[in-house]
Amino acid sequence: MVKFSRPTLAALGWRIAADVNRTVGGGLASIELMRQAFSRTGWLRDADHALLVAVSRFTPGTNVLAYCAGVGWMAHGAAGVAVALVASSLPSAVLITLASAIVVRLASSPVVRLVLAAATLLAAGLVLWSAWALLRPHVLGSRRLWASSTVLVALALFLGLGWTPVRVLLVAAVWGAFLPPRENGS
Amino acid sequence: MSLWLLYALLLKATVTSFSGMGSLPQVRQDLVVTNQALADDELSHAVLLGRSSPGPMGVYVVSVGYLVAGWPGAVVGWLALVTPALGAVPLLVVVRRWHHLPRVRGCVDAIVVAGGALLLPAAIQLARDALTALAAGLGPTA
Repeated sequence: MVKFSRPTLAALGWRIAADVNRTVGGGLASIELMRQAFSRTGWLRDADHALLVAVSRFTPGTNVLAYCAGVGWMAHGAAGVAVALVASSLPSAVLITLASAIVVRLASSPVVRLVLAAATLLAAGLVLWSAWALLRPHVLGSRRLWASSTVLVALALFLGLGWTPVRVLLVAAVWGAFLPPRENGS
Repeated sequence: MSLWLLYALLLKATVTSFSGMGSLPQVRQDLVVTNQALADDELSHAVLLGRSSPGPMGVYVVSVGYLVAGWPGAVVGWLALVTPALGAVPLLVVVRRWHHLPRVRGCVDAIVVAGGALLLPAAIQLARDALTALAAGLGPTA
């Protein structure tokens, strides 16, 4: 059984910096890496992770930074937010500035492109795993009918009608508020 | 262009988007079209670097800031990148306070489930891009 504990500021900053700044292809894979690390170390419950994901999707700007700000706030308040935001964004910001200054053509090298493609494939796998981690408690639990219909409606609006993710999530929010799930599966 | 104006324009782009690259149309409109502080090919370089670098996708605005105003511009770009994330804190406080109410819990659960569903097309697109790039890189050269 995992015992839940609060990380030190330094440990939190290091964990976030390590997980956010080592994936290529966006923050979704980073969020999955953090979820795995946080649940391994007992810093974050799965329910808190799900709540943070929901909040980060509704926060303007880059989702993974909003997620990190939320993690920082839960762990250490304002100081945690500051550490989390610096840890999640500063290393990659410095790196991209150096790349802009020195090697703008780095990404056009065929070898680099191959390495990046392989890293992106890995990120795709992490994103799929992240989707499953979020959906699993709902689609395998007692509310599977409600969860499955929510998934189908979301995908239909997004893929079928071409709605933006935010618009789909707004509809989901209204759907969940007015047709909340019941424990008998409906 | 002053650093304040650069910050305001980049912040306008990041705060009105809900994903890393979602700010791109606004950045192009304000910096390339309206103010002509950046050329289209420079913006393409910034986007390419952003997609190729580890870390958040939206970090390309740091490169944009650098290309417009050097190192101070990069700092301004970084500030515009992280500022909207502060909005997560009041949102989190409000949601946690009311999370015990069935309607609020239903609302959050539905967002989590729909958000999870929306990850599926994103993962497929990422995998497709990666496989296309791998195939192109491993294929015969002319």
